[in-house]
Amino acid sequence: MRFLKTPGILKSQSFKHSWFRNLTIGIAFIFTFLLFSSIGILLFVLKPSEILSALFSEEMLYSMKLSMLTSSASTLSVICCSIPTAYALSRYSFPGKSLIKSILGLPMAFPELVMGLALLLLFGHGFLGPYLEALGIKVTFTKLGIVVAQFFVAFPYAVRVIYSTFEDINPRYEQVSRSFGYGEFETFRYVTLPMARSGLFASSVITFARCIGAFGAVLILAGGSYMHTEVLPVTLYLNISYGNLEMAITSGILLMGIAFLAIFSFERFEGGRL
Amino acid sequence: MSFLEVRDLCLDVGGFELSRIELKAEKGDYLTLIGPTGSGKSLFLETIIGFYRPEKGRIILEEKDITDLPPDKRQISIVYQDHMLFPHMDVFENIAYALRKKLRDKKQIEAEVKQIAGVLGIDELLHRKPATLSGGEKQRVALARSLIVRPKLLLLDEPFSALDARTREKLRDTLKKAISEYSTTVLHVTHDFEDVWALANRVVVIRKGEVMQAGDPESVFKRPSPDFVAEFLGTNVLKGKVKAFEGKLTVIEAEGLKIYSSDPAKPGEEVVVSIRPEEIILSRGTVESSARNTVKGKVLGIFKKEHLVVVEVKMGNAEIKAVITPTSCEMLGLEPGRETYAVFKASNARIIR
Repeated sequence: MRFLKTPGILKSQSFKHSWFRNLTIGIAFIFTFLLFSSIGILLFVLKPSEILSALFSEEMLYSMKLSMLTSSASTLSVICCSIPTAYALSRYSFPGKSLIKSILGLPMAFPELVMGLALLLLFGHGFLGPYLEALGIKVTFTKLGIVVAQFFVAFPYAVRVIYSTFEDINPRYEQVSRSFGYGEFETFRYVTLPMARSGLFASSVITFARCIGAFGAVLILAGGSYMHTEVLPVTLYLNISYGNLEMAITSGILLMGIAFLAIFSFERFEGGRL
Repeated sequence: MSFLEVRDLCLDVGGFELSRIELKAEKGDYLTLIGPTGSGKSLFLETIIGFYRPEKGRIILEEKDITDLPPDKRQISIVYQDHMLFPHMDVFENIAYALRKKLRDKKQIEAEVKQIAGVLGIDELLHRKPATLSGGEKQRVALARSLIVRPKLLLLDEPFSALDARTREKLRDTLKKAISEYSTTVLHVTHDFEDVWALANRVVVIRKGEVMQAGDPESVFKRPSPDFVAEFLGTNVLKGKVKAFEGKLTVIEAEGLKIYSSDPAKPGEEVVVSIRPEEIILSRGTVESSARNTVKGKVLGIFKKEHLVVVEVKMGNAEIKAVITPTSCEMLGLEPGRETYAVFKASNARIIR
């Protein structure tokens, strides 16, 4: 019986292509091409000399430096916080787990601007602001605000990626390690973390890309003030509003470049996994 | 008091359930737990080792109640079907990892690893990554890793089921050797009767989280409880004596039958031969074929098992079970009392002990 079925399947594969197949493939091509050409245009609007001069302008250098610094700081703190969060969600059952899961899912659906507003209220004069200020910490309209905004934008994504990495690791590896006398933390340190290595790297890359591209929340919480809390997306925004196209496009190109690098290394590492 | 005592163990983890399991094992016992898939065997092992906490019941090892101890304080090792070797460590590291909590001295660790590698025949593999090993090799390494700590109890969770018959046989021998060398008590979960015959001195039959039967393999298989046979068909086991060595085949006289096996054995040796029911062909007359064994017998009974038919045939002094499809059963016109021939290859008559 089984033998009879196989030729049938083969036949239908070599059959004339259906209109539906052609339609789906056609749509895939058209819109990917449109997307790609819109990215390409970014590169060809300006002359290389214009890009170079914009690139080495004082404002751009400042914004690049600040972007790199804040994104590195927020990526580091995001990873440090999302590893335990994701591990807890993946390995333990505790009251409130599903609540945490759905709250962490929220920011992916609701707009960054709203997130910025919420953070502004939280860290502003109403709630946490006065207490933090008493400790000498000021979040709103400062560089620290940039890091905080980036952190909350990227955190849910990082938790999600790392969570699925931990989920892919069979808990029996940990159990075997426990049976040899290793405690929970030692097992995590010697078995789980090394096995999650590539997933952690991938999520750091994605987190960094999210942080450097974060705009809405950053703008509202840190305020997009010139040469003070000015990161790359803010540079793009400010210069568009002044009509300064060279600066805007150049920061756009920079952001695109970073995103491409991130996606590229993400794919390589995810694809290279066992 | 026994070396290991499990009293009234109950646990329900959605889908799998253990209800009131009672079990005892003496030091040095090799105990097999046998039962169909989904009978809660693995869950039972993982409760013994401490990955699950029972809802009720006690586990007592060497007169100490270990029910509430964390797994790292129990000195119990486990080998899974899918070996669970750490992929980021090479073979040496994997084995040494187990020992690092017991021994600090690097030279000593190295010596111990070398020794067990010798016993299990994996000396050549020490610097390979687990991903580059074959199934049998991985399982040897997993065994080495579990045995090197000289656990009080070694748990084996279907360690051979992912391997082919030849590898399985070889590994059984190696396992026997290693266990006697590292003298440990073993709980071995399996659904393969050959494991029981080849390795165990005691067998416990589990079904749906309950102990159905327990005892030494002989008495359990000679007088199986009726439920157990209906649920779970094993292999045909024949006891006999090696008569001669013909060409490349061993000739065995077992329960009034002459059986050719391609497994080597010395003439005069007492052996146990296993023939799987699904590897037996039933025919009306004698047929010329490549199979070396053709045995005449009488149908004793026919019963249905899911979508297949199990035919019990009396041959010599033995009752042999064969599995065929309902269609072939009809075509052969099989019914109790009819004569039939059982045909099987010499390579399928395996000497298991």
